[in-house]
Amino acid sequence: MSSLALTLKKHVALRTNFRYSRKLSKTLATLSSNTEIFSAQKQPKQQQEKLSPFLNIKEALENVYDVIIVGGGITGLALANALATCHKTKLQKIALIESSNFSHIRGWKNDHDNANERYSNRVSSITPGSVRFLKEIGVWQKLDHTRVKPYQYMVVWDGVSDAQIFFDSEIISRSLSSLPFFLRQLDKKKDADDSDSIAWIIENSNIQHGLLSNLDHLQNKNHGKISIFDNKKVERIVSENNNDTRAHEFFDLSEWPIVELDDGQKLRARLLIGADGINSPVRSFANIETLGWDYNSHAVVATLNIDSTTHDNVNNTAWQRFLPTGPIAMLPLHSRVSSMVWSTTPQLAVKIRQMPPDQFVELVNGAFRLGIADLNYLYKIIENSSGTSDYDIGDEMRWRESVNTNKASSPVPPRVVGVQEKSRASFPLRMRNAECYVKNRVVLIGDAAHVIHPLAGQGLNQGIADVECLARVIERGVINGQDIGDVNSIQEYASKRYIKNLMMIGAVDKLHKLFSTDLTPIVWMRSLGLRMVNGLEPVKAEIMKFAMGMEHQSTD
Amino acid sequence: MFNKTYITRVNQNEQISGFQKVLLSVSSAFTALIDPSRQDMVATLGETTGTIFLERIRDKMLQDKIGRRILREQPIVNSQTIDLNYLRQLPKTTFGRAYVAFLDKYQVTPDSRTKVRYIDDPELAYVMRRFREAHDFFHTLTNLPTTVEGELALKWFELAQTGLPVSLLSSLFGHLRLTSKERNHLFDIYVPWAVQCGSSSKLLMNVYFEEYFEKDIDGMRRELGIYLIDDLKK
Repeated sequence: MSSLALTLKKHVALRTNFRYSRKLSKTLATLSSNTEIFSAQKQPKQQQEKLSPFLNIKEALENVYDVIIVGGGITGLALANALATCHKTKLQKIALIESSNFSHIRGWKNDHDNANERYSNRVSSITPGSVRFLKEIGVWQKLDHTRVKPYQYMVVWDGVSDAQIFFDSEIISRSLSSLPFFLRQLDKKKDADDSDSIAWIIENSNIQHGLLSNLDHLQNKNHGKISIFDNKKVERIVSENNNDTRAHEFFDLSEWPIVELDDGQKLRARLLIGADGINSPVRSFANIETLGWDYNSHAVVATLNIDSTTHDNVNNTAWQRFLPTGPIAMLPLHSRVSSMVWSTTPQLAVKIRQMPPDQFVELVNGAFRLGIADLNYLYKIIENSSGTSDYDIGDEMRWRESVNTNKASSPVPPRVVGVQEKSRASFPLRMRNAECYVKNRVVLIGDAAHVIHPLAGQGLNQGIADVECLARVIERGVINGQDIGDVNSIQEYASKRYIKNLMMIGAVDKLHKLFSTDLTPIVWMRSLGLRMVNGLEPVKAEIMKFAMGMEHQSTD
Repeated sequence: MFNKTYITRVNQNEQISGFQKVLLSVSSAFTALIDPSRQDMVATLGETTGTIFLERIRDKMLQDKIGRRILREQPIVNSQTIDLNYLRQLPKTTFGRAYVAFLDKYQVTPDSRTKVRYIDDPELAYVMRRFREAHDFFHTLTNLPTTVEGELALKWFELAQTGLPVSLLSSLFGHLRLTSKERNHLFDIYVPWAVQCGSSSKLLMNVYFEEYFEKDIDGMRRELGIYLIDDLKK
């Protein structure tokens, strides 16, 4: 015991030196779990004297953490899970701070009423790449799978020209087949497993619940090494603070940022992780600027009741139509329920949110079926109305559909028959990318680092990919005994994720701009492009793999 | 009062192939040029070339409240649906009276328009038909005579309003058969007026003419943004 105290005394003037910090972090790890060793009553007096700096260090380091994750959204929780699961990193002292109360999420299973087929309006499309990672950290199994909807088909079409592209999950299996090109039709899948889907539509609260319950479960296993500070707001984040004299007696932690909570607690971090959303306080603390712009668009979300009898009672297709005002998408949740995401102008978004429900239902059906001229007319009468319905969209719809019956019709989504009450909401759309993801002792992940247009369903999946990459980088740092807060240890995360995120954000932005116009030459060009890609299966397969997060995975 | 006889669908038309369409458009263009009085050739030219532009007009109509009503009710202009005797009895300042006066002066009837033959989509076929049938209303409003000059000026006016290629072709080539004096008159006075008035006035395809018969014609002109050339003011 005394030799331990002596060793510690040797390292009293501790710098952030990687050789010493490895031993220190190991020591701290054992310190925080084995409290019995230091109960003063058991030791003879002289040893107690020698132990006292030891006790002081432990007390001093009580509020010092290896990793502090600010933000308890899906990204933050996923990172906490990843670190707590991994064999090498689970001994790290981790704190997670979240301003809202987790009891809502913990009680999620009892909240909803499955029988009424009611779903939250915040849902995400989770790609196979993200699912693979969630399986690895043991979270996928903890989701409520009665409320997880895989889909195998996706139809995307141009609202002006009706040019269409059709995605099928079998395209991937065919492209991965080892048979020659012309025999691939014969390659039958042995059994239908999960990898048959393009993606899964899951309510965000389902994912959060799964992540949190896994974290609680791990917390019990790891003897409480993960500290969860929920219902606590971050007042401010500072560094260079020498007021914390107790820790300062032993170690120079002046570089380590301090997170001050609204209840007065002050937590110090070796590595501070910003998973705190688009207006990240962690990012402002690190003086990292974001570059980007606001789209002059708001996205309206709603939960729709649909009639899938026209589609064999099966709802396994995602639909997206590009209108000049913005894309409208219908994502399957259940054979009789779908989620809608409609990006449109801010003025229209307000009106659409507030319209009477029956008119709203007709409008959504029209948005997937009517010509652009008709929709422009409907927008005009909606915008000029005073709130109570002095228009009848149903009437217009019936007339236009009777006129168009002799036109060759492309596939359309199931008809909407109702909208779940109070499920209509809207939020502004933006594109953002932080100028750097990593600074000394600070890392940004998820929306704090990048924000993307929802038209390709990539935002959350990018965040999860960030988490996977960062967890691996931290793991490597811990194995090598590095100071994981040092920028050289975590730079690899930035170099891996920055380019990938930038590419995805840029591509989605260009797509958005390409489809925001109805100028004839551009419509002609993009329709030609769509039709061509639709006919070239290998190209489609590559695009799908890119969007499904199934590209070449780094194996380190 | 005019008789609201609505026909919900124009009769199905003859189907011709793309190649036949091209052949027909070229030959009708030549014939229309050589002999502009061959209204049926002008009509054929319009049908074979105009589908995209008809769609444009149809879309413009769909975005206007009255235009939509016209597309929905599909009113037809012929001697059965319009009671010419009743219009003759209206006061002189009304649109209806001016319309009948025009018909009587130039000895034309509302039945003299060529039938639409080569357009598949019933709605677009109706748009073309309405375009032709409203031609006499355009004459009444603008006070242009049915001389070659007058017709050409009206074609320029239509071009400014709709962008139809048949109007474009007639505008570009129609004047080649005029004397130079007539041509000068056309381009000095009529064409500038037609372009300016046509582009600044309301799209006449969105006007439900049948409902204006009893209204004052000058008030109507002001409402639609149409002003007359000095020559033609009575």
